[in-house]
Amino acid sequence: MAEQLYNAVFIGSIYALFALGFALVFSVLDILNLAHPTVFMLGAFIALFVIGTLGLPWFVALPIAVLVTGLFGIALDRVAFAPLRRRGAPALSSMISSLAVTLIVVRLVELRYGGDFITFPAGSVPAFVFRVGDATFEGIRLAIVVLSVVLMLILTYVLRRTQLGRDLRALAENPRAARLLGVDVDRAIAATFFVSSALGGLAGVLLAFAYNTLDSRMGVPLELRAFTVMVVGGMGSLPGAVIGAYVLGLGEVASLVYLPTELRDAFAFGLLFLVLVLRPTGLLGQKSPDRV
Amino acid sequence: MRRLVAVGIGGVLLLASCGGTAAPSANPATATVAAPKPDIKIGLATAKSGAANFYNPQQSNGALLAVEQINAAGGIAGAKLQLIVEDDGSVRDQGITAFKKFIEQDKVAAILGPTLSAVAAGAHPVAQAAGIPVIAISNTGLGIVGKCDYGPCDWIFRASLGEQSAVPETVKAATQKLGLKKVVIIYGDGKFELDDLTIFKDAFKANGVTVTKEIAYTAKDVDFAPFVTQAKGENPDAIVASSLAGPAGKILDEVAKQMPGKRVIGGNGLNSAALLSNANAGLMVVGTAWSKASTDKTNTDFVAAYKTRFGVDPDQFAAQSYTAMTVLADALKRSGSATDHAAVKKALEGVSSLATPLGAFSFTADHDVKQPTFVMTVKDGQFTPFQ
Repeated sequence: MAEQLYNAVFIGSIYALFALGFALVFSVLDILNLAHPTVFMLGAFIALFVIGTLGLPWFVALPIAVLVTGLFGIALDRVAFAPLRRRGAPALSSMISSLAVTLIVVRLVELRYGGDFITFPAGSVPAFVFRVGDATFEGIRLAIVVLSVVLMLILTYVLRRTQLGRDLRALAENPRAARLLGVDVDRAIAATFFVSSALGGLAGVLLAFAYNTLDSRMGVPLELRAFTVMVVGGMGSLPGAVIGAYVLGLGEVASLVYLPTELRDAFAFGLLFLVLVLRPTGLLGQKSPDRV
Repeated sequence: MRRLVAVGIGGVLLLASCGGTAAPSANPATATVAAPKPDIKIGLATAKSGAANFYNPQQSNGALLAVEQINAAGGIAGAKLQLIVEDDGSVRDQGITAFKKFIEQDKVAAILGPTLSAVAAGAHPVAQAAGIPVIAISNTGLGIVGKCDYGPCDWIFRASLGEQSAVPETVKAATQKLGLKKVVIIYGDGKFELDDLTIFKDAFKANGVTVTKEIAYTAKDVDFAPFVTQAKGENPDAIVASSLAGPAGKILDEVAKQMPGKRVIGGNGLNSAALLSNANAGLMVVGTAWSKASTDKTNTDFVAAYKTRFGVDPDQFAAQSYTAMTVLADALKRSGSATDHAAVKKALEGVSSLATPLGAFSFTADHDVKQPTFVMTVKDGQFTPFQ
């Protein structure tokens, strides 16, 4: 039982880490960035490139991958979202343009690395193991569990207590008013995309390390989960996304343990339905546009 | 601008007319000797893009190597084979489009492919309706030959060892060598995995092994620790992974961690070169259609020729497409006329104990492949026979 609880917490942490960056862009800019799974995948492949091709160790590859995916996020905004924002295009257009970026990047990665899953060179992935009594904990898995909560706390602090956070909240409420109040909107948007994508990249690298496997579509199964945890937690709320992630992780594992396996998805998404019926704004969602 | 467009169109027309007249007048001297026989066109529909794109370039290269060797040896009664490769995109509709192009536009003698069983379920009926022989080169699911969901499928042949043949051999070998009494099956929700689940259950029953639990996962699952933890609760002698290679890698890792010493028995989904780099690949037991280590001369010649031509070792998918093309060429030679589809079909039915890299190759009365199964595990990053 304790083992399954640990499994559930780990799965919840994966969902949380992935959903944080996704929820950040949505909460500040009202954009559903469908390229987020691609950024996640890109982080893992950049780490593979740094380790496999450049021959550098994992602790160098990790910050490089996070930095490059962060910068990719800014480029993504400039290419896929900014031109549409300037023309006041509907939200659907940004979703489609982010999807287009996804298709292009996935294909480019496949041209370089192929479509099948691959692994890091033998012995290049961090493999710390902690023993507490009889139980064995892998360092990388513990790091994912801890980081999902710590990063949520840091992000929440930044948004609530810093000048950048105040700028972002002003932007989330009304971009035009924020600009009139002297907020550097372009800088705030770039910062949002940088942080969101860097988080996505970090999640990709950590997950690829944890499983020692990566493929061009590795972010796809997490996308639907990220939508779910955002809705359960409350659209636009970062602590809500993390709580939603743990609720979904626990729900999935509990249904595996207690229900016939065919009903597992029905249980997890039944839970989603129930939350929406009882609390349409999600667990921590707010009714007003005063989000973030 | 308009003038520019007109000049452009004129230029294109001029070029086209040059191209059109160039061919017949290219070499008037040949008019006095017998005209060369027209090429025999063979269509290959294969996943160059989409979810199954990792089967290429091996699948295309295997067929290409066979065509080059056959043509170098004089072709089919003096006619050269011409391989036309189309991307099936790993999706049903694109597979159907490729088959229609082969039949209506290219007028092919026969078709190889497509890569995935789910695509074949859409594309094969097109060839069946048109009466064009097809050899399935990598479809291992149920309903590809024999009894098909869409009705009669007597124009379809299969050169890829089906799971109905490979899985029972694997289960038999694993039961004998590992002394299995009870197992747990972890299975995915795709057509291939569900077919495998059925075949595995029947095979274990036939060998007197109890399946104590069946645990389903979906294509959306990311982490496999909870599934293996559930399986561990049954204290099975081995885990069965009815899955594709991606999830299988994660199942292997979790079994190594949570159930040290236990083996993972799998179907063709585990027969993937990508799994060879998995640190725990040595745990798996899998039935395959081909063994690179086979010392049969036809196989060693094929492996050497492939490596010389493409610079890499072949995999099973290259061996199967190479074999299918070899089998087809054998039938075309015996048919008497490559344009007579019924004669080609009849000749294919007569393929018997042909020497191929897969071993002695025949078709059953249901047009399914009859060949040896190689039960393998992994050692030092290579598939090796399971002892």
